[in-house]
Amino acid sequence: MPPPQAVINGNCDQRRTLVVIFLRGAADGLALVPPVTDDHYYRARPRLGILAKDAVKLDERFGLHPKLRPLESAWREGELAIVHACGTEDQTRSHFEAQDLMEHGGVVAGGWLGRYLRTRPSETRGALACVAVGKALPECLLGAPTVTVMQSLEEFAIAGRTPALGTQLEKLYGMERGQLGAAARDTFAALMRIEAMRTTKYRPDNGATYGRDEFSNGLSQLARLIKADVGLEAASIDLAGWDSHFAQQGQVEGLAGKLAEGLAAFRKDLGARMATTTVVVMTEFGRTVEENSAFGTDHGRGSTMFVLGGGVRGGRIHGEWRGLEPDVLEKRGVLEGYGDLPVLNNYRNVLAAVLARQVVGCGEVDMASVFPAFAVKPMKIFG
Amino acid sequence: MSVTRRQFLVAGAGAVVAAVSGCDRVKESAVEARRWLGKPTAPPLMGAMTPPAARDLDEVSHVLNRLTFGARPGDHARVGAMGVQAFIEEQLAPQKLEDWICERVIRHEFDSLADPEGTLLPRKGNASDPLQALFPAMKDKGARVSHLYEYKDKVLLEDLTRATVLRAVLSERQLYEVMVQFWTDHFNIDPSKAEAKWLKAADDRDVIRAGALGNFREMLRASAVSPAMLWYLDGRANRRVKPADKPNENYARELLELHTLGVHGGYTQQDVMEVARCLTGWTVRDKKKFFKGRVEFHEWEHDAGPKRVLGVDIPAGLGASDLDRVLEILVAHPSTAKHVAEKLCRKFIADEPPAAAVAATAEAFAASGGDVPTTLRALFATEEFWQQAGRGGKFKRPFHFVVSALRATNAETDASKALVDYLVRLGHAPFRYATPDGYPEAASHWQSSLLWRWNFASALVGNGIKGTSIAGEELRERLGGDEGLMATVLGRRASEAEREAYHESGSGLALLLASPAFQYC
Repeated sequence: MPPPQAVINGNCDQRRTLVVIFLRGAADGLALVPPVTDDHYYRARPRLGILAKDAVKLDERFGLHPKLRPLESAWREGELAIVHACGTEDQTRSHFEAQDLMEHGGVVAGGWLGRYLRTRPSETRGALACVAVGKALPECLLGAPTVTVMQSLEEFAIAGRTPALGTQLEKLYGMERGQLGAAARDTFAALMRIEAMRTTKYRPDNGATYGRDEFSNGLSQLARLIKADVGLEAASIDLAGWDSHFAQQGQVEGLAGKLAEGLAAFRKDLGARMATTTVVVMTEFGRTVEENSAFGTDHGRGSTMFVLGGGVRGGRIHGEWRGLEPDVLEKRGVLEGYGDLPVLNNYRNVLAAVLARQVVGCGEVDMASVFPAFAVKPMKIFG
Repeated sequence: MSVTRRQFLVAGAGAVVAAVSGCDRVKESAVEARRWLGKPTAPPLMGAMTPPAARDLDEVSHVLNRLTFGARPGDHARVGAMGVQAFIEEQLAPQKLEDWICERVIRHEFDSLADPEGTLLPRKGNASDPLQALFPAMKDKGARVSHLYEYKDKVLLEDLTRATVLRAVLSERQLYEVMVQFWTDHFNIDPSKAEAKWLKAADDRDVIRAGALGNFREMLRASAVSPAMLWYLDGRANRRVKPADKPNENYARELLELHTLGVHGGYTQQDVMEVARCLTGWTVRDKKKFFKGRVEFHEWEHDAGPKRVLGVDIPAGLGASDLDRVLEILVAHPSTAKHVAEKLCRKFIADEPPAAAVAATAEAFAASGGDVPTTLRALFATEEFWQQAGRGGKFKRPFHFVVSALRATNAETDASKALVDYLVRLGHAPFRYATPDGYPEAASHWQSSLLWRWNFASALVGNGIKGTSIAGEELRERLGGDEGLMATVLGRRASEAEREAYHESGSGLALLLASPAFQYC
């Protein structure tokens, strides 16, 4: 029998999981969440502006990209919150610099999520507490106590073709007293649950269907792990390809569709487990307010973040918004024309709120360690 | 003769192998060629391979466990023959130890680390160089770091990581490498911060490796003006130009809390502020400037007023010498001796270091003015270090576990990505610890990732790690069969339960490496 969950999982109500989705390449927040009642928007984007009649209406000001329609129900049911004009203080508009800065949580060493996992208030750490879906460790997880980089559940097993090895190890570790014995028993219990998963075809719950793309597949693996109670506390997964300098309409439509369909399936699949799951979607910076001559947009500043999950004060746009009037935009050097959407809401204040949610009831996040040299003011994204 | 890898690659393998090996060493030329091509090979197993025979860890296995990154086959016989005291002395004087295999691999694998003068800048001391005549400053250490910026930061981190693993696996100077890791944690720098990306390589060379078995005071001084440290703990931004400027206390605090006195070492917030004032003006040139990475003292950014640190007055106007006064006060403080001794005893004796051993070690530290070999000699002479009950009671950190498995199996490895990935999964890849306290030592931090230890053992034995290979069957035969293999890996005779599990597991060597006993040292 698997031991009680409390032993496997380190976090306090024993079931909370944070999933971080990074939209690499700088996603166009003004296409994902267009300000459909702002004339300046259509003046700057005569060909690319998302029309109000096409968008999913969110409130008096904003709509949702038509391809994000699968997220409409989460918005209506109050599980999806959006922060606009959001980003970092980075001025280089370099993907690499800005991603680094964002994932480190400032000009500091290590990643914000890694530091959180090291310093969060809890004694135990599960063997499978943290998973990065993909091929490489993302910068945000630098310094985490233990991370599994994986593309599929196949990688969660005692390697080698000799099941006897596992049996014999279980025997030897069974004789160990103290911490090591307990840690080994937890690991075997987690392995057992995963073994059961690997040998059966996955059937998502509640009639959810995942797409066949890599992103949806990754999300379905994470949903499986969450439901299997292996102690997953934090996971990261990327959706890349947002750098839409050229003919962006098709590009953004394809990616927005993947994002929304994947997330909608994930939410449906988890069902009641969404109450203890938080998904945060972020990108390194936004894109120019004004479209370029190639039907695309270039590197800008503010973009959007999405927070999905239980306890979210959803169905509303959080944070400051000043519109797109030319004098509120951030100057782009000496060039004439439109400026960039300014960063009015620092991404760290969103993440801080998300992290605080993870430890409700068992202490506080040491924000000074997670985001050093930044006076964090968590946004009130959770109720 | 000395040939660089670059020359070798230009001249071609055959020419250099012929030049180096000569006709009478033709048989060895294949091995030589691999080395010259930068393919590290495990040193051949030589000499007696007699495995340990005692039921519990004997003194020989104990010193091999604690002073090294794990025993290689044959080490027990060799150290048994020379005696443990002679072995300790040998390890305390690494400069006298022949280490050509390791040195050669490092030299030929890593231009970035082995060629500190770089390629674009003139050689140090080359007086005829017109550039150097124009810029005398290039003769100092600043010139020795600029070249690092020629590399992509990821290349440097990868080189540094691989070199660290390879040295731990291959070097005969094992205690030295163990101490390099100890000080790397003590003076931790995470190179992912800003320009430390490039400069950590210099810190590794000029601070940590230069001083690992040297003098603590000198290492501390080198660390205080290490360009990577000035970036990592913001010393570069600690300045006072206007009277209203507040010093940046980051480095000062860690200097007191982590590097010297320890958190309960008896300093106050006032002391932190005063130390920070003393260090104002030390900075490092950034990558937008000429002589990037050069450390400078800016008199005009220094707070010239009088200060008082830990009850000692530092008069006004000492300028750059404030730094030396501060370090003098800190090194001589009894809390520093206690703090360093405690950490050493935690490393070498037990997670809860026995007070008597700490006291003896601290006394040696204080009496010798921070001489590291003298301090360690005292530690290794304590009764607590030798206690039978404590042997095999330290939980290996993941790096130690991985390297000890490579050493026990006499593995060949290039320490490339596939191997380092295991260290990443285990949360203990070198140079990836974000906060200045360095990777923790105590077992409780490291017991949640057992699965990846088991998987590593299984993959290593199954030759499933790219760039790393072992000859398991050959090793078993060389050690006289199963019993010899078990005793060599475990450092003692196997228990009944271990023997049974070994035979039943279907992969005896993997089971040994994954077994509870092998996780300890």
